[in-house]
Amino acid sequence: MRRWALALRLLLLLPFALPGASAWADTVKLGLVGSTTGPHSGFDLPANEGVRMAVAELNGKGGIKVGGKSYTFQLVEEDAQSKPDFAASAAQRVLQDDDVHVVFGILTSGPGMAAATAFQRAKVLYVGGFTLMDTLLGKPGAELMFRALDADAVVAKPFIQASLQALPIKSIAIVLPNEDVSHEIANLYKPLLESAGVKVVATEFFQPDTTDYAPVLRKFQNQGIDGMLIGTTDPQAEAIVRQSVELGNLPRVFLYRGGSSAPALKYAHDITGFTWQILTRDLQASDDPSLADWKRRYEAFTHKQVSSQTYWALTFYDAVFMVADAMQKVGSVTDVKAIAAQLKGPRYQGVRTVGFDRDGRALSDFDVGILRDGKVSVVRATVQ
Amino acid sequence: MLVDVTQTVVDGLMVGGLYTTVALGITLVFGITGILNFAQGQLVMLGAYVAYFAAANGLGFWAGLGLAMLAMGALGLALERTLFRHTLGDPMAGLTVSLGLIMVIENLSAAAFTPDSRTLDPPLPGSIHLGALTFPSQRLLVLALAVLLVTAFRLFLQRTRYGKAIRAMGQNRIGAALAGIRISDVTSAVFIAGSALAGAAGVLYASLFAISPYMGATPLMKGFILTALGGLGSVPGAIAAGFLLGLAETFGSRYLSASFRDGYGFMVLIVTLLFFPNGLWGRRGKVRV
Repeated sequence: MRRWALALRLLLLLPFALPGASAWADTVKLGLVGSTTGPHSGFDLPANEGVRMAVAELNGKGGIKVGGKSYTFQLVEEDAQSKPDFAASAAQRVLQDDDVHVVFGILTSGPGMAAATAFQRAKVLYVGGFTLMDTLLGKPGAELMFRALDADAVVAKPFIQASLQALPIKSIAIVLPNEDVSHEIANLYKPLLESAGVKVVATEFFQPDTTDYAPVLRKFQNQGIDGMLIGTTDPQAEAIVRQSVELGNLPRVFLYRGGSSAPALKYAHDITGFTWQILTRDLQASDDPSLADWKRRYEAFTHKQVSSQTYWALTFYDAVFMVADAMQKVGSVTDVKAIAAQLKGPRYQGVRTVGFDRDGRALSDFDVGILRDGKVSVVRATVQ
Repeated sequence: MLVDVTQTVVDGLMVGGLYTTVALGITLVFGITGILNFAQGQLVMLGAYVAYFAAANGLGFWAGLGLAMLAMGALGLALERTLFRHTLGDPMAGLTVSLGLIMVIENLSAAAFTPDSRTLDPPLPGSIHLGALTFPSQRLLVLALAVLLVTAFRLFLQRTRYGKAIRAMGQNRIGAALAGIRISDVTSAVFIAGSALAGAAGVLYASLFAISPYMGATPLMKGFILTALGGLGSVPGAIAAGFLLGLAETFGSRYLSASFRDGYGFMVLIVTLLFFPNGLWGRRGKVRV
C-alpha cells in the first residue's frame, strides 16, 4: 500500500521534474477568436496568423518574466464562422477557460459586436479590429477594450490630403454599400472633402451583396464627375473599378476606403489614379527595409507568400508584444486593469507604430498607397 | 433619356439571362424529382472556379465554359447517383441533403481555393458604341450566351426524345414509367442538364463578377425566387420570370434606390403571386417542364 502511495506521489511530481516543466506550469493563455471559415475568413485568417506568429516569436525568445517567474504563451482558439451567433458561442467557449484574461481577434463588425459583448461581460481584456467597435469604445464598461486599427475619424483627413495631393480632383461621388459603417463613413468624408475644395456631387448607397454595379454607376455617367470615393472591400472596389471602365464616361480617379491596391492593379492603364489606405503596413508596394525582415519571417512561419491580404496579419501582431510588454511592466499576467492602463501609455514601436488613446482607440501611423500613371508609390501618414 | 433607358434595358436583360440560367436547373430538377436542390448555387460557384483555373492554365474562356459544363454535369450525375437517388419520393430528405451539400462544398472550396476573391479576364474586353449607346462587350456576350443556352435547353426539351421523356415525367411519373420511359435514366439526365447549366451560369458570372467560395448564395436565392415566380417546375415560367426579375432589379436600382435591389424582385414576386397564386406559368396541382 505504502509503495502504491509513493508511486502515485512520484507520478504527480513527474511533470515538474521534466525539462521545460516550468514553461508547462507557467503559461499565459491568450484567447484568439476569428472567422477562420465563412466569407469573413479572408480577413481573420491572416489576422490570426499574425497573432500565432507573435506568440511563436515570444515563446521562441523564452517568453516573458513577471515577478521572477518565466511565462510562455499558449493560444486558445475558436472559430467565429463569420456569423454573429457563432461568434458569441466561440467567445463563450474561450471564456469557459478561466485562465484566459486577454483575447485577440475579429475584424468584421457582425461577428465582432456579438463576441465583444461577451468579452465585455466577462471583464477580459479584448483587442479587436472591427469598425463598429468604435461605437463601444469610450463607453462605461468598455475600459478593457482596444481596437487595434485606426478609426475612420483618425484616418480620413490624412488620407484625403495625401490622395488629393497625388490626384487633384474637383468633384466626387461617394459610392458605398448600404451599411451602418458606410453611412458613418459618408458623414465623415463628405465635410472633409468639401473643406478640401472638392464638391461632393452625389452619395449613393447600394445593396451590400451587389455584384452588378451598372445601374448605380450609370447614375454618374456624363455628369462631369472627376472621382469616386468607394468602399469597402476589395471585391466590391474591384467590381466598381472594372465596371466603370467597361461602361465608359465615368470618373477614372478612385479614392478607396480600403486597404489594398488589388482592386485597381489590373486596370492601372485604364484609370487615371487610385489611392488606398493600409491601416497596418503596405507589404507589397512599400520599399521600407524594416518590412523586409518581417515578410521573410512571415513566409517562413506560414509557408505562404505575402499576398495582397497579408497586411491584415499585422493587425494584432504588435499588440501581442504590447500586451506581453505591459504584463512585464505591471508585474502581473492577470491584472487586466493594470495591463489595460499600461497599454494606454506611450506608443509602441514595432513593425507598426501603435498607440492607444484613453478610450482604447488606436492611434497608429498608416500607409497611403497611390497608383498614378500605372505606377505604385506609398506615403506614410502620421497620426497624432 | 431614351439612351439611358435602352442601356438599362440591356443591363436588365443581361442580369435576367444569368438568373434564368441558374433557375432553369433548379426548376427542372424540382419539376421532375420534387427536390428543391439548394446546392445548385454551389455548382454555379464550382463552375466559375473551373473556368478560372482553365483560364489560369492558358486554356481560355471557351474551353473553360465547356469544361465547366462537363465537370458540373458529371458532378450532378455523381450527386444524383450517390445521394439524391436515395431521397426520391421524400422531398424533405432531398432538401436536407442539398442543405448539407452547401456546407460541405462551400467549406471544402474555401479550404482548397482560399476565401480570397478572384476575377477572370473577360474574353471580350472594351465596349461597343452604337450612336449614343455604349455597351460593354462582355455584357453583350453574356446576354447572347444566356439566350443561346436557354434557347438550346428549350429546344432540347421540345425536340429531343430525352426532352419529351423529361416532359412526360414532369406530367406524370408513373404514367411515364408505364409508357416505357426509364425513370432512373431520365432522372440522371435531368441532374446532368441542370448541373451543366449551373456550371455555364458560373462561367458567365465569373466573366463579369468576382468569384469566391461563398458566391453561390446570391444566384441561388434569385433562382428560387424565379422558380416560385415562374411557377414551380415550369421552364417557360422560369425564363419569363428571369428576365422580368433582371429588368425589375435594374430599373429599380437605376431610377429609384440601389440599396433596395433585392426588394424590387420580391415586390414583383408578391404582386405576381397575388394575381397568379401558382406563378406566371404554374398550373394548379401540376408541375410543367
